[in-house]
Amino acid sequence: MSKFQPVSFYKNKKKTYQLTPFRFLKFNQEKYFLSNMTGEYLLLDRESLGRLVEHRLDDSEQSYLDLRAKQFLIDDTNSIATDLLAIKARTRYSRLPEFTALHIFVVSLRCDHSCQYCQVSRQSADKLKYDMTEEIADKAIDFAFKSPSRNIKIEFQGGESLLNFPIIQYIVERSKKLNEVHCRNLDFVIATNLSMIDRDILDYCRLHGIHISTSLDGPEDLHNKNRPRPGKDSYEKVIKGISLCREVLGRDEVSALMTTTEASLKRGKEIVDEYLKLGFPGIFLRSLSPYGYAIKTKSFAAYQTEQWLDFFKESLDYIIELNRSGIRFQEYCSAIVLSKMLTSSDPGFVDLMSPAGIGISVIVYNYDGSVHPSDESRMLAEMGDNTFKMGNVLTDSYEQVFSSQALLQPLEDSYTNSVPMCEECAFEPYCGADPVYEYAMNQDYIGRRPESGFCQKSMGIFKHLIERMEADPFVKNLFMDWANRK
Amino acid sequence: MDGVVVQFDLGVFSIDAVKKAAYKYINKFSTDFALQGQSIVCSLIFTQNIPQDSIQFYIDDFRKEVLDQDLREKIKKESEPLRNLILAHAFSKTTLVEQ
Repeated sequence: MSKFQPVSFYKNKKKTYQLTPFRFLKFNQEKYFLSNMTGEYLLLDRESLGRLVEHRLDDSEQSYLDLRAKQFLIDDTNSIATDLLAIKARTRYSRLPEFTALHIFVVSLRCDHSCQYCQVSRQSADKLKYDMTEEIADKAIDFAFKSPSRNIKIEFQGGESLLNFPIIQYIVERSKKLNEVHCRNLDFVIATNLSMIDRDILDYCRLHGIHISTSLDGPEDLHNKNRPRPGKDSYEKVIKGISLCREVLGRDEVSALMTTTEASLKRGKEIVDEYLKLGFPGIFLRSLSPYGYAIKTKSFAAYQTEQWLDFFKESLDYIIELNRSGIRFQEYCSAIVLSKMLTSSDPGFVDLMSPAGIGISVIVYNYDGSVHPSDESRMLAEMGDNTFKMGNVLTDSYEQVFSSQALLQPLEDSYTNSVPMCEECAFEPYCGADPVYEYAMNQDYIGRRPESGFCQKSMGIFKHLIERMEADPFVKNLFMDWANRK
Repeated sequence: MDGVVVQFDLGVFSIDAVKKAAYKYINKFSTDFALQGQSIVCSLIFTQNIPQDSIQFYIDDFRKEVLDQDLREKIKKESEPLRNLILAHAFSKTTLVEQ
């Protein structure tokens, strides 16, 4: 006797089924894209979609079996589907009650670079009034430990953060001391252009387990064009800095981020090659944001979303081919989205969360004590727009700051399950709300989806990833690997 | 009314379905709505940058979108109790749901 049930055992004897909640959109001329509340997806032709909804799909059809396997429908053979969907939904939202994990301390606005796209207002390197004081740092640390999150990551930003290294040391040591009582998983990151890194600073970082994050925009001429400084040697300094970081801290303790400018658009392969040459395991292809100097210098308006998408697709396709030839290399923006598409987990990327990640996932303590729900909203404030300013650590309590309308209103308004078109969009499980972007562009927290650059960019990324993996088994395997790599 | 007129039978489609479909094309055309007997009469006024030869394409697409919206309404209606059950079940052990 067989240990397995015959196929007939799995037939739907009652010949009826119940639809579970799902959304769909027209994917291309042949297919519709269906997704459920936990992010599982299927591609189906329009005729089958119509029959599915009208309960005319036969249980002998492959599409029926696929839909049942992914819990788009429930019949008398998969009554466990409701429990499975609940477990997946719970996993997906498990970060939500954790609350704010990333705490950004803007320790100085001073900077030795004058990048055209810089998202913050830069001040000359001799103005100490743009440095965070110990008094403000103390209050901000207290705020950080009031977060219920088990994981607290403190990230130091600028300007150039290392121009105020003494306050970084003060914050690290005081946080560690307080954590003897709070017992959180405490991490530190210094975001720096590496122009003034030295062995003493790195010895300190090694002693305290501090990770380094830097900026690298691509080959030397492109990097130096994007990131001017006196001496025109930004690239030389960052390369030397990366090398020294690796020597002192270890290979994985320094990471780099790129920003796409108009000059980058035709140079995707070269940028990827630069990261490969330096031994980085991947790259985050990042577009410009409509804040700060990127608006003032018109560098944000220099290219359209479509052009950036072309750059993204071309670069990603090149990375895929590198992997096909045996070179292991990852694109991190895709990996975040794929994690949402192919697993039940949500990596909690601030720009792709709903409710929005502002305040809930990240908080920014500015050098002057003002509190902002994201780095981008801090940049708006530097330009004189305090719409998102939640308060000040010197004058307001944690409770006052986090119940501020400057945070709650955009969170409520931008929740994707309530936003026109987002609430019915089949890409919603992978997407998120970005009220700061919409506000910067339209002066309201939602904007109109058909006209939104954020929507266009996100949809373009999602579609390309799905097209690539549906057409090529190698890419599907590669993307599964990226989605599950931590 | 000015513009291209497209009509839908109120006995077949809901006003919400037609409105949602129109919203999706807000960057292509604006829409005036009127009820005439059993019909929802939509007058589509195309933005100036839409080429004349694309107008029929968008009208056809708008009609298909109304059909899709109708399907979405059916799915939502049938699966709503289950959605609420799943979410309640998912969060039943957390402190997010008030007892």
